Amino acid sequence: MKIFIIIPLHNEEKYVGSVLDSLTKYKLPIIVVDDGSTDNSQLSIINFQKRQKDIFLLIHKINLGKGAAMKTGADYAFAHGADAIIFMDSDGQHEAKDLPKFVEALESKKYNVVFGTRNSSYGVPLVRFLGNKFASILMNMMFRIFVTDVLCGFRGLTKNAYEKLRWNSTGYGVETEIVARVGKTGLSHCEVPVGTVYHEKLKGVTILDAFGILGQVITWKFTI
Amino acid sequence: MIIGLQIIALLFAFSMVYFAVLHYKRREINGTEITSWLIMWTLAIVVIIFPELLRTFAKTFLVTRVFDLMVIGGFILVISITSVAYIRTKKLEKKLEELVRKEALNKKKK
Repeated sequence: MKIFIIIPLHNEEKYVGSVLDSLTKYKLPIIVVDDGSTDNSQLSIINFQKRQKDIFLLIHKINLGKGAAMKTGADYAFAHGADAIIFMDSDGQHEAKDLPKFVEALESKKYNVVFGTRNSSYGVPLVRFLGNKFASILMNMMFRIFVTDVLCGFRGLTKNAYEKLRWNSTGYGVETEIVARVGKTGLSHCEVPVGTVYHEKLKGVTILDAFGILGQVITWKFTI
Repeated sequence: MIIGLQIIALLFAFSMVYFAVLHYKRREINGTEITSWLIMWTLAIVVIIFPELLRTFAKTFLVTRVFDLMVIGGFILVISITSVAYIRTKKLEKKLEELVRKEALNKKKK
């Protein structure tokens, strides 16, 4: 099974190099989608490309959001022979050592979607932990699917799943929309435990984003 | 007799006429759009100066005061314009997303 890693990226010059370094030993093709970065992230990747084959850089000229970057990466991967993809964040939050769990679950062909689940004892801030629990319960009530960590961006999809799940969210709502669509389509899924490292508290989903996503969840109930 | 509120409303209406003409001169809006805006603001100016003209309408719609009718009319107009602007923004967002993504896929760097 040909599996690609997709990394949506926005202004992560500090971490993207070490993320890519940590992935080299797994020898999987990597697609980095630079979503309108204004720092030197692109330069880090171009330097990395000189040392490592099978790393592709796609560039959004302006910042569209994480969901759009994920979609661009997925479209490229599946157009170039991927059977499955694994999404990882570019801020070093996800650990490469967890990749084999996703690969194993996808290669077993039992599951179309593999969700990463962060362990709350690995330093997930309390507000995020509570927000996540609330999201899990809400999604279960609205879409009849229980995913322990709705907002975790570390997840894998097969080609078949992507064709059914192709999301509309361009921003941080993408993770929640994928869960909603898995619930609606009834695709087979599983969860694998992943470690997580929080470098910067101000990045990622903010409380304001969370309220926006909550509004979207209600609309997805009727539109998906 | 013209009261303070009418003066403020007139100043607002005239400044909006000025901005409409300005945008037309900059070719940001076309002939049909400037005509529509000018008709709308001229009607607004007439109603501001002679509010009694709306008395018959107010009675027809069972609204006690002309001012209330103008407020209700204003709300309807604002909500309609906001809805149209929202839909247009969403369409533009979608087009922009497609354009940027398409360019990214066509100009991949290896």
